[in-house]
Amino acid sequence: MTKEPKMHNSMNLSEEELVLSTLEPDQLAEAKKQRVPRRRLKGPELLVLWFLRIYLLFMIVVVIYQAWTGTR
Amino acid sequence: MNWFAGQKTQREVVITHEDIDRAHDRARVQDARARGSWLSRLRLLWLLVGPGILVMLGENDGPSMLSYAATGAKFGIGFFLPFIILTFVMAIVVQEMTVRLGAATHRGHAELIFERFGPFWGWFSMVDLSVGNFLTLITEFIAIRAGLGFFGVPPWAAVLAALALLYTALMTHRYWTWERITLAIAALNLVFVPVALMSKPDWHSVGYALANWKPMPGMNKDTLLIVLADIGATVTPWMLFFQQSATVDKGMTKRDVSFGRFDTVLGAALAATAAVATVIATTPLFTHHMSAENFQAAQFAQALQPLIGRIGASLFALGIVEAGMVACVTISISSAYAFGEVAAKPHSLNLPVRQGKAFYSVLYLLAALAALIVLIPGLPLVYVVLVVNVIAVLAMPPALVFLFLLVNDRELMNGVVSPRWANALATAVVLFLTGAGVLFGISVIAPNLFAALGGK
Repeated sequence: MTKEPKMHNSMNLSEEELVLSTLEPDQLAEAKKQRVPRRRLKGPELLVLWFLRIYLLFMIVVVIYQAWTGTR
Repeated sequence: MNWFAGQKTQREVVITHEDIDRAHDRARVQDARARGSWLSRLRLLWLLVGPGILVMLGENDGPSMLSYAATGAKFGIGFFLPFIILTFVMAIVVQEMTVRLGAATHRGHAELIFERFGPFWGWFSMVDLSVGNFLTLITEFIAIRAGLGFFGVPPWAAVLAALALLYTALMTHRYWTWERITLAIAALNLVFVPVALMSKPDWHSVGYALANWKPMPGMNKDTLLIVLADIGATVTPWMLFFQQSATVDKGMTKRDVSFGRFDTVLGAALAATAAVATVIATTPLFTHHMSAENFQAAQFAQALQPLIGRIGASLFALGIVEAGMVACVTISISSAYAFGEVAAKPHSLNLPVRQGKAFYSVLYLLAALAALIVLIPGLPLVYVVLVVNVIAVLAMPPALVFLFLLVNDRELMNGVVSPRWANALATAVVLFLTGAGVLFGISVIAPNLFAALGGK
């Protein structure tokens, strides 16, 4: 259920109206504090994430190797 | 069902200072849209462009411009001119997805990865971005220091001037004002165009190269590294995070997506023009067989001076300073946005300092720390630039995969999910860039494997 807007002391009513008439509800800073739910991953997506994990290991090896050869 | 639509009736409305500033920007957009005349259409365009131009000109940063300069000095006019344009086309395909994601979800990229794929991938992306951004930031200060060094400015003064400019651009605590100031500075990236004209290029060769992708360079490890460096100079992870967060901070909605696309294409066209101009500008070094191995900004300008004159060389050095400066601003902000999104702290350029302490602290501290590092005597600056390139190219595949999964997430995208043709194009680009990243990794671990390609 939508509740009445809470106002900060320094704001006047016209500013409140301006915000509510120009911004989409999801655009309000307060609305962004609401977390988006976790995605349920299916077969191909899980496969992609496993590929990423393997790639991550490869990437770590490359960066460490690069740092090692660079400091020699 | 769309998740955002389901949330609209459950929330309590609390209005903040950030909302009011954004509402003023949106009111001007709505006013321009309501009028419908040609003039107001142009005004609407003026109001909605920004993130796309900034991200593309921001990516034409210090190391990127040096990479283009090295391309011109090593290979001259040929295959690389159309290739660089192709990399910007790929950048458009990738960045357009961030516009849609930002406009549809009103959330930043880091935030969406964290919430949709869990803390592991969220923190991984965050650490990946932070390390890459911080090292890149150091290279931007290196570019500023080197560029201003051409005019005799001492390193401490160069770094201090860059920090002062960064703070000035952010002092208004208004997204709109910051965006316009940074756009004005970014326009200086086109200074490479007059430098290219001063090099008196052979326009017939330029036209032939653009039409035929010739002459082709010899296929060897050096060529491959330049190819990968030019890819890395155009598509990097911070760009995804920055444009999506800036789109959100600007307040763009699904109605503005077409303008966001135009903004991205315009930015890419401007950046590609500057990049191609840089290759053309340094071609005289190739023609005169001057070795540009390990050249830094000031050295390129000094080497060009006898060939294009003092004014041309000065403009070149100034262009490198601008490239470093704009990237310094956009990359610091990209890190601060991502930090705020993952740590659930207020993150907007519309925030007054008091309400955005964490956001501004991260932004200023990162910039100040990077600036200080550049002043350390005897720091292996060339090595830092090399490591940055490695991390930037390697970090791209995970960032692209998450972008692709998110932009096809029907629960989030609320009617602006990618059409099939766009997905096919994006898949091709993601595969190409992932392949380039893997290839670059292999070239680092096993350089001899690539030496066999061209006998080098």
